[in-house]
Amino acid sequence: MAIKEVIQAINQMQADGMIERYALGGAVGATFYLEPAATLDVDIFAGFKSDPGSLIVNPQPIFDYLKARGCAMEGEYVVIGGWPVQFLPPGTPLVEEALKESVNKEVDGTQVWVFTAEHLAAIALQTGRAKDKARLLQFIEASALDAARFQSILARHKLLDAWRKFAGQFLTDNP
Amino acid sequence: MSLDLQKILESKRALRRKLAALPIGEKLRMLDALRERELAIRGRALLSDSSVLHEEPAPYRNKSVT
Repeated sequence: MAIKEVIQAINQMQADGMIERYALGGAVGATFYLEPAATLDVDIFAGFKSDPGSLIVNPQPIFDYLKARGCAMEGEYVVIGGWPVQFLPPGTPLVEEALKESVNKEVDGTQVWVFTAEHLAAIALQTGRAKDKARLLQFIEASALDAARFQSILARHKLLDAWRKFAGQFLTDNP
Repeated sequence: MSLDLQKILESKRALRRKLAALPIGEKLRMLDALRERELAIRGRALLSDSSVLHEEPAPYRNKSVT
């Protein structure tokens, strides 16, 4: 079981033209900036190729490609290197921007694209589950965010009210 | 060892900083190990048991996926 196998498989998919730009998000993406936290799956955000003449994104060719290479399907996941991997199209302007501005990192000699810390934090704020809020707090406590860049993302994507609410709940002594 | 809460919290913060500063390859290997441990504790059957209270996947709003 190794995330590195997932990264190598995704890079190969990109080299083979199955996906366009991609980036790691979720807990695995956050691990590039924070301490490791247990997670059960890998979120890969990717630009999918749509069928000619269609605006509808069809992930089936990706599943077919991976199945032909011995990967199993488990519900919405493809199992690569023992990890359930979920392929997600950029479904909001925020995630579209995160994908466009993702950064290249290196893992033991292997290149990988990852969302910036500020985009991961903004997505966590927008998603808003308990564990997303906990991750956002981790980013803040670790001083992993460029404050000006984070604020500009929040303003651009109309998340300032959500941020004020979050800050009132978690970042003040008198919520 | 101390029962002073402030010292305990500070040592936790220091450990988190130390873990965050590890090389990314090492941190990803830790994720591999953490997942194996979590699966061993939970059991695979538990993950697919709909009667168990669990957190929903992130609503990433896959607006255009069929």
